[in-house]
Amino acid sequence: MQENMNSEAEHPCLSRRRFLLMSGGVTVSTILLASCNKSDDGDGEGQQALVAGYARKKIATLGELQTDEPAPIFYPYDNTDLNSLGFIVKLGTPAGGGVGPASDIVAFSSLCTHVGGDLSNTKKTYMKEHKILGPCPLHLTTFDLTRHGMVVAGHATESLPQIVLEVDGDDVYATGVLGLIYGKRDNADLPIVI
Amino acid sequence: MAKLKNIAQDKVPLPPPDAKVFTTCCDYCVVGCGYKVYRWPVGTEGGPKASENALGADYPVAPSSGKWVSPNMHNVVLVDGKQHHVIVIPDADAKVVNVGGTHSIRGGCIAQKCYNPNKPTRDRLQYPQLRVGDKLQRVSWDDAIEIMAAVSKHVLANYGENAWAQKMYSYQYFENTYALTKLAFRHIETLAFAFHDNPSNAEDTPAWRDMGFDNFPAAYEDYSLADTLFLSGTDPYETKTVIFQSWIMKGVEERGTKLIYVLPRKTTGVAFAESRGGLHLDLIPGTDTVLHMAIIRVILENGWEDKEWIEKFTATKWEQDSGFGRGIRDTGWQWRTTWGKLQGNDFGQYREWLLSQEESKLEVAERITGVAKEKFVRAAEMMAKPRADGTRIKTMLAMEKGNYWSNNYLNTASIGMLAVCCGAGNRPGQMLTRMGGHQRGGIQGGLYNIAKSPEKYPGRRRKPLDLDRWVEAGHVRYAYVVGTTWTTAMTGSQALASTLEKLTRGNPHQPTSTDKDAAIETLKKRVDSGGMMLVDQDIYLRHPIGAVIADIVLPAATWGEVDFARANGERRLRLYSKFYDPPGEAKPDWEIVAMFGKAMGFEGFDWKESNDVFEEAARFTRGSRKDYFPLVWLAKNKGIKAHDLLRAYGTHGIQAPIRYQDGELIGTKRLHDATVNLPETGPQGPTIHSKIMSAFNTQSGKINIQKSPWDLFSDFFEWQSPRPQDGELWVTNGRVNEIWQSGFDDIERRPYIIQRWPANFLEIHPDDAAARGIESGDELRVYSDRVPVQVSGFQGVRGAGKLDGDFSFTTLMKNGHIKLEKASVSAVAIVTPAVKKGVSFMFNLHTKNPANSLAPRVPDPLSDNYRYKLGVGKVEKVGESPYKHSFEQMSFGRRDLV
Repeated sequence: MQENMNSEAEHPCLSRRRFLLMSGGVTVSTILLASCNKSDDGDGEGQQALVAGYARKKIATLGELQTDEPAPIFYPYDNTDLNSLGFIVKLGTPAGGGVGPASDIVAFSSLCTHVGGDLSNTKKTYMKEHKILGPCPLHLTTFDLTRHGMVVAGHATESLPQIVLEVDGDDVYATGVLGLIYGKRDNADLPIVI
Repeated sequence: MAKLKNIAQDKVPLPPPDAKVFTTCCDYCVVGCGYKVYRWPVGTEGGPKASENALGADYPVAPSSGKWVSPNMHNVVLVDGKQHHVIVIPDADAKVVNVGGTHSIRGGCIAQKCYNPNKPTRDRLQYPQLRVGDKLQRVSWDDAIEIMAAVSKHVLANYGENAWAQKMYSYQYFENTYALTKLAFRHIETLAFAFHDNPSNAEDTPAWRDMGFDNFPAAYEDYSLADTLFLSGTDPYETKTVIFQSWIMKGVEERGTKLIYVLPRKTTGVAFAESRGGLHLDLIPGTDTVLHMAIIRVILENGWEDKEWIEKFTATKWEQDSGFGRGIRDTGWQWRTTWGKLQGNDFGQYREWLLSQEESKLEVAERITGVAKEKFVRAAEMMAKPRADGTRIKTMLAMEKGNYWSNNYLNTASIGMLAVCCGAGNRPGQMLTRMGGHQRGGIQGGLYNIAKSPEKYPGRRRKPLDLDRWVEAGHVRYAYVVGTTWTTAMTGSQALASTLEKLTRGNPHQPTSTDKDAAIETLKKRVDSGGMMLVDQDIYLRHPIGAVIADIVLPAATWGEVDFARANGERRLRLYSKFYDPPGEAKPDWEIVAMFGKAMGFEGFDWKESNDVFEEAARFTRGSRKDYFPLVWLAKNKGIKAHDLLRAYGTHGIQAPIRYQDGELIGTKRLHDATVNLPETGPQGPTIHSKIMSAFNTQSGKINIQKSPWDLFSDFFEWQSPRPQDGELWVTNGRVNEIWQSGFDDIERRPYIIQRWPANFLEIHPDDAAARGIESGDELRVYSDRVPVQVSGFQGVRGAGKLDGDFSFTTLMKNGHIKLEKASVSAVAIVTPAVKKGVSFMFNLHTKNPANSLAPRVPDPLSDNYRYKLGVGKVEKVGESPYKHSFEQMSFGRRDLV
């Protein structure tokens, strides 16, 4: 674990660690890349985050994504991992970290970063007119999906972890996670098999 | 923008099994959740298996495990100069307060409060400083204290004790508040004194005091035992978060508690209430008294009042006249010299009075409050209408500053009478209580000798001195400011700041070197020429009080850096453990007071450690709601420190007043408790069975009946109300969840919170916004040319409580005691139907743009509390803020969604 006393303000660029998921365990190879994660916040500064870059995994196809219809995904692991449960949604409005022709496709973890409430029932928790996820069924926290999962109102001590997306042709790939997923010590920790 | 950016972390270190564990509580809001601190040296860490970490959990952990460590719960601190990891995590084992380890966004991030030279807390004050020219320069503790003492002695000898002022927090731990008030009251003997949220040494809820209600009699459990919960002037979802999560939601889920909210805007809690059969009384700010009276009218006209309870627990005329033990002249309302306008002789007479009041009529009340009259009826039914079988529902009333900081005396009187009608105040699930702001960390170490106050009501009775007005009038030559921004926290902020600046920086006598003797001579010349010396003691350099105004700035040590004790909103005492070193030469406030007290030649300031102060202060709590004397007595008998005995109670703590019985300490769940079992054999050892444990706090032990005549307030209210023809809106103010009682840490130093609220904001109704061409994200100018500031006039002569009385607003205006000031602050627009049309809302305490600048500096003449919530101003668009098109900072999402 890198020692964590570094100032946020002194890191204009993020460092990216990549580890590859291999069958039978995790092999961590660190390839450090210096890159500024450009996003359109208007003032030339991007969202700064330490992104754990996982194996690139296809999670959706552009043509299948309908506006305001969230679909479940599993990332960074598969459906045997409760903590990998997330969703992808085409918001119909540009969003921080959004991909696709309209920069409106985003994906997030479905576990509330307050005490782990299950937000995956998007029929109830996705508020399409507000582009907000919530309220959490446990304590009513809401998250702004256009703002990298920022808390709108509530108790979570972290934004809702955003799944970093890339588009390649018609395919949408997940390539990392912004923030620590509820329950985990490290996003790379092996899943508890369910 | 030079804002700190938040970096989302993707992993967090776990404590190894041998990590040291400390118990503490959150430093912030009144709820006072229990926390554990795990500390271990940098260079090691625990693993994800239960056997590999001190939390004893397998990672990933399950939802609601209480064991998830979010990255904001981690920091690195210094212990004996060596780096240590700390995890500050809600106590998963908690059986009280935050049961199971739930938390708010503020407490959950409290690890970021710790001083870390490599994080934004690096600018903690570390050394005493003296202003030389326009720079603060480091000086030794000895020199700083000697300069303070020399100028203080000069001021006291030449200008008297009321020229030496003290402005301080009321809450930041027993040890500090005791030491500071011991200095001010017992040794300096000044009356020029005020806590952080009042212009004078005023009571928060004066009418409750007069009626016999304590401020904090309830237990948190009571919130889960009510059938109807009347919540006034606060959304506990936002600002008493864990009371809401752990106790109010429990009642709603388990017994179907109905929530009634009295607020001018809709927040998450209100939306939740409405979704569960509750009610939103969306009033115009400042009109609570009329709203209460209208609901009471409905109750009385239908005969729904709790007659049996009223018969048993309210005083008769003769019982009321017994006052507080010294006859009629000593009842609270007599002190306020209102010539009979407030006292109701008994409930029967009150009923006649209430029904005769024009303002209690539903049509009139609807016009004044802006609340549809059907809602008064609905509220009365929910609160007091007996069930078909004749049984009564349990109603609890809880309120906070939106209520008592808009019309202080009358709102507290009328909500008290609403509680009486519902039979609330002294039994489980049927209480009347404040919900609270800061935690309850005050112990008064001396007598505020009101008999010497230069300020008085009409007639002969003295009243606490209005410090802000006293400074404005030029009577203060030395001011000692501890842990408060003073200007930002008071109304008419900008006007007050310019007065303080004029008296200090505006004076020609400014130290030109750090030479102690030269500085003393210069500052003496300053005070002799009508100027003022100001000392500011805090954990950060605040603007403007420290950064611009202060001559000496002293560094204080705080939470986690010294052992401290304090009570929360249900009187629960806990020890807040030291777990790391304060930065530089920072010292706890009590120690700084001790150094100054000794330099002044005062006796009784020889404390060696925090526990010494805690033990000494105990006897000043005897018989009060914070009585912990038996704990100190038992610790002494056991030969241990009282702090260590309290530490053994962990995050559970013990509820005061504390009793000693058969070798054990027993807590007190609620006050005024008609169901409490006190031993028939009487109190044991040092225990006091005070009246407040089992009865109301009056001579008879019953509630004194209180009237609330609207005309004591209406002239001010009408003048202050927005003038639509001039484009004015109410610019009321309050708190938001993310920066509630934690703003002093996180507005400038917590990147996660800063990205949420990078600037002050103004919520405005879509119709009001459209009329001004305003969209969400626009940068606004919020201003007023008529902020009323009361000046001079400390001696009332003619009748209080009358329109022609000396302290009525009409007379003050006529006699030239109201000066109109200008104010202007910036805010980012949030257009939302969540606020009522004609009402806008800002966060109240933003350092650079305090909404309080627009609030009137005219205190309630009956009680000297400010009417903070009644800000008024004009709003116009300046341009677009940088956040309008940003995805990184600030959300304009609605906060009233469930």
